[in-house]
Amino acid sequence: MSSPQQYIRPATVWLFLVLSLPWQPLHAQTVTEARTAFRSGRYNDAIAMFSRVTRRQTSSAEAARGLVAALVEVGRYEDAQQAAQRFSRGNPNSAELANALGEVLYLRGDREGAEDAFRRASGAASDSLLARYNLAAQHYESGAIEAARREFDRFIDVYNRGEGLTAAELRAVAGAVRYLSLQDWQLAQDALRAYDEAIAADPGDLEPQVWVGELFLERYRFDLAEETFAAILEQSPGHPRALLGLARTFKSAGMPGAFDTAERALEVNPNLVAARVFLAQLLLESEDYQRALVELERALDVNPTSLEALSVLAAARFLQGDEAGFAAAERQVLQLNPRYGGLYNTLAEACVRTRLYAEAVEFAQRAVELDPTSWRGFTLLGINQMRTGRMRAGRENLETAFEGDPHDPWTKNTLDLLDTLVQYTETSTERFNFAMDAGEAGLLSLYFGELAEEAYDSLAAKYGFRAATPVRVEVFPNHEDFSVRTVGLTGLGALGVSFGPVVAMDSPSARETGDFNWGSTLWHELAHTFHMGISDHRVPRWFTEGLAVYEERRARPGWGDDVNPGFLVAYLQGRLVPVSKLNDGFMRPAYPEQIGHSYYQASLVCELIEREHGFQTLVELLEEFGAGRSITSAFESVLAMDIEEFDTVFDDYLQERFAGPLAALRSTASSDDPPHRSREEIADRARRQPDDFVAQLAMGTLLVEQGRPHEAIGYLEQAKSLFPEYAGDDSPYWHLARIYKEQGGLERAAAELDHLTAINERNYAARMELAELREALNDRRGAAAALQQAVYIDPMGIDLHLKLAELYAGLSEWTRAIRERKAVLALNPVDRAEAQYQLARVYFDAGDIENARRAVLRALEDAPNFQKAQDLLLEIHSRIETGNGNQVRRL
Amino acid sequence: MKPFAALALSLLALAQPAASQTHLVIVSGLGGDQAHREKFHRWAMTLIDAARQRFAVPEANITYLAEKESLDFESITARSTKENVQGTLAELAAGLEPGEGVLILLIGHGSYQGDRSLFSLPGPDMSAADFAIVLDQFTAQRVVLVNTTSASGDFVKELSAPGRTIITATKSPFERNETVFCQYFVQAFAEDVADVDKDERVSVLEAFNYARLELRRAYESDDRILTEHAQLDDNGDGEGSAEPDPSVADGALARQFVLEGADAATAVATADPQLAELLSRQRVLQQAVADLRGRKESIDPEVYGQELEGLLLELARVSRAIREREKGVEPR
Repeated sequence: MSSPQQYIRPATVWLFLVLSLPWQPLHAQTVTEARTAFRSGRYNDAIAMFSRVTRRQTSSAEAARGLVAALVEVGRYEDAQQAAQRFSRGNPNSAELANALGEVLYLRGDREGAEDAFRRASGAASDSLLARYNLAAQHYESGAIEAARREFDRFIDVYNRGEGLTAAELRAVAGAVRYLSLQDWQLAQDALRAYDEAIAADPGDLEPQVWVGELFLERYRFDLAEETFAAILEQSPGHPRALLGLARTFKSAGMPGAFDTAERALEVNPNLVAARVFLAQLLLESEDYQRALVELERALDVNPTSLEALSVLAAARFLQGDEAGFAAAERQVLQLNPRYGGLYNTLAEACVRTRLYAEAVEFAQRAVELDPTSWRGFTLLGINQMRTGRMRAGRENLETAFEGDPHDPWTKNTLDLLDTLVQYTETSTERFNFAMDAGEAGLLSLYFGELAEEAYDSLAAKYGFRAATPVRVEVFPNHEDFSVRTVGLTGLGALGVSFGPVVAMDSPSARETGDFNWGSTLWHELAHTFHMGISDHRVPRWFTEGLAVYEERRARPGWGDDVNPGFLVAYLQGRLVPVSKLNDGFMRPAYPEQIGHSYYQASLVCELIEREHGFQTLVELLEEFGAGRSITSAFESVLAMDIEEFDTVFDDYLQERFAGPLAALRSTASSDDPPHRSREEIADRARRQPDDFVAQLAMGTLLVEQGRPHEAIGYLEQAKSLFPEYAGDDSPYWHLARIYKEQGGLERAAAELDHLTAINERNYAARMELAELREALNDRRGAAAALQQAVYIDPMGIDLHLKLAELYAGLSEWTRAIRERKAVLALNPVDRAEAQYQLARVYFDAGDIENARRAVLRALEDAPNFQKAQDLLLEIHSRIETGNGNQVRRL
Repeated sequence: MKPFAALALSLLALAQPAASQTHLVIVSGLGGDQAHREKFHRWAMTLIDAARQRFAVPEANITYLAEKESLDFESITARSTKENVQGTLAELAAGLEPGEGVLILLIGHGSYQGDRSLFSLPGPDMSAADFAIVLDQFTAQRVVLVNTTSASGDFVKELSAPGRTIITATKSPFERNETVFCQYFVQAFAEDVADVDKDERVSVLEAFNYARLELRRAYESDDRILTEHAQLDDNGDGEGSAEPDPSVADGALARQFVLEGADAATAVATADPQLAELLSRQRVLQQAVADLRGRKESIDPEVYGQELEGLLLELARVSRAIREREKGVEPR
């Protein structure tokens, strides 16, 4: 959480005074014009006008303050300082510019000078209340928290005395109460009231409006914050702090545009330290440490004592593994403010963004030790304890955070989620603990446990590494619960997340059938658990994502992202980010599909590395990351090439691997044709461009839609030959399969669907259709395989399991047949007796007499007159009596 | 293994076939449009056909009141006005023997106006209070009233009474979306889908459970939010159960109520004394199983398991002997 101090800006109290005067001196007209220019964002005009007045009227404090404010707004701090000092030199008996000077000095990191100036102003100047506020704030930011709080308390008395306060004085009161609200959230409402009174006192003054926006942001009212900043920007389109506030709002609310908006703020005020720090934080999230450091360097050039900049610098150093650099920055922060918990909160947040959850816990712990009223610290501590599997401790700390700040949505959402989680059913396998909704656990645990154990064995063997166990897997039937578990807020677009020892993911019931493959998702997240374990959580985001997709592809045919025309067209249009900047594709996508493209691109990088250097090289890269190497140095040491060189190699690889499809998409990539064309245009294009994939597929699809499947075959076959790797839901495979089936060509239809399902992991209908075809062709094993893959997409249908049970029984695959019969029961069929009987029957056929007996008794308990079950019970007892049964145990 | 013959003999005296001939009254209310009228008629005829053909309910025991008699002059007894509904039920109540059963099925639209739920009929609607007056006339009969309309939840509270089963399609009067509970409820009787205890009959409890489960599955399959939560009350406490369980609260009466004609009720009569004895033993065992299940929670699980298995095994043997006897094969 940012403290209010960073938003302190020069006062504009003089404006109100000028308006209040019954007469206007000669220069007032110019001051009014200058003020108008300033308030509408014409800063250079304002500076010129204020300068002219101050040259003519050297004793005009109003004009001098206006000049200082305008210079500050565009980042000309040195000029601002000189302007303030020039006034003081010219008016040695006046302290009217002392507060303004103090604010400028504070912005430049001269804390001592600022304090002297605030003290001078607090005694005699017309803006003395503002100076007293600034002084108290500076004490607070230096760690003298109790003293500062006593000083802030006095502002409440000032307000309560009911004396007519000016807009600037009301702003000072509001600022003081806002500081007090950091410990007592209920005071935030009082701060808002005072701000509103300040705005009412001088509606044209944007300063209190900016502070109100910041207050909304602090109080998690992102909608109101956005509205407030937008309103300011309507009046003053380039207002740097409103732009920064908007950027922060975008970030907090998970909306796009934060980076660009902050950059716009810096275009107006390149010395806006808070904006540089904000950009550095975003760059750290992208693991772009070099650019982050550049931003921090520029911030610290302006203000070498900025606690926020130094804290982010400490985070950057820590993430880079620069222990000495980290210690130096940490020491510097604590020298400036020995009680600055924000340092460790910043570090914890940076660790979270780079998946260092255990470290985040440690830093958050230090934050709350340093500042026991850091509710944000308690939230970070609680959430990250939960991420590392410490559920009880996590809840306790979140409850502390909630008591201190009940409006923090991250805290409240996570506590609500914990209330849901305690109702989940917990099951275990050898190396996994699963938490699942009670209504789904019976079914899902049949499959999750088996797949998770298989994944563990497979990954452990490949990587020569055993991830710490047990791994906790939480499965959420409500996507928003998953989202809260992952980021504390709703609205996350992901399907699963791995925190290392804890995996959270959507249940198959959380989404529409065909939206995702839960099997590949689980495998993907478990791959992350291994990657994080090997790299000590220091693997770059893009690399672990690529490697996890790569692992999906090796787990089952069809799993993992696949190439599609959109990806190749983006490549041809130069819209893919180079490998050296691949994290940007995940963290700051330039277009909506870029995240998906980046996943696939990253997986291709891993495939290329494996092809050229062997799989072990990928493991070595993980180990390099674990040793603290950056992606650049890891590539240099393991692949013997720098990452920019790798960009070229990867480009060549794409050209080679997708030579055919790229050629078939080239005209699409360069075409400006509208996406919707007439039938005649589609037909004409298909005739003219036989080597154009899109043209051929469009014509084939059109003919299918027109009920002319026979004519469509040629176009669809041509499209398939041009881009055989494409197996989307609208691919030639799907259309051809249906046409061939209608024509009676079951074998050909099945072959088309074999191709499709070997690439496309989410097409449920194709697998069901394939199973039907395979069964019609007397290929029961093929039918079962197709249905088994369908289970990984949507296991919630009873008919699917009934069919699978039948097929597996026919193939004498008893273990699987039993599992499918259990799945039917778990889906709570109306006829439970029949389902229990069928389970008993398959146990009996499998030779498991004891379980058969137990199941048939459960059937008969529900339906005592169930003839088939009665016969089976008699058969079982006959077997037992003749000594051919297992040992009999009771229910 | 424990011998169960002695137990069977000792329980023999308890076996009493129930005189359980049932009557069926279906009231199809205002449709509002032709599509709804036809749908309601289709649901009504589904149950009537099942009663006639699957459960041998005599024609005389079936009454069908509908909005328009022209939909089916042969099957529809009269128009479903309030007066006709009241008259039909009053006449039926006067003519029934004690112990006989009547199933009243209300199909159509419901509403909640002011403070009461209403069943929409041609002319004046009927409230739960109106039905309470006519149901009170069934003093010694087993009554099941099923209100499948929207906003029907209030009927449970208003009509709940000892010896009476009340089912509503919604849990409160505020669930006002159109309901489809009826579709699954009548399907339970018409198809081989709901007889979960495999006694070749469909009890009201089985039909209710089938309907609520399939209804939920249908809503989930269509990715719709469930807007109707059916309730059943048969213990007279005025509180409906969404998942009735006779061992906990509701369901005991509904489990015993089946559609059947006089022939079924007396089917145990036979001239073959050995078969009669076997059938008698079968009933004793069936009852013993039911009793044991009713005491499940109060018995040591191991003892329960042993006793249950013994009873079920014996029941299986007796049932097989009956089948063989009926086929003319000497029982093994």
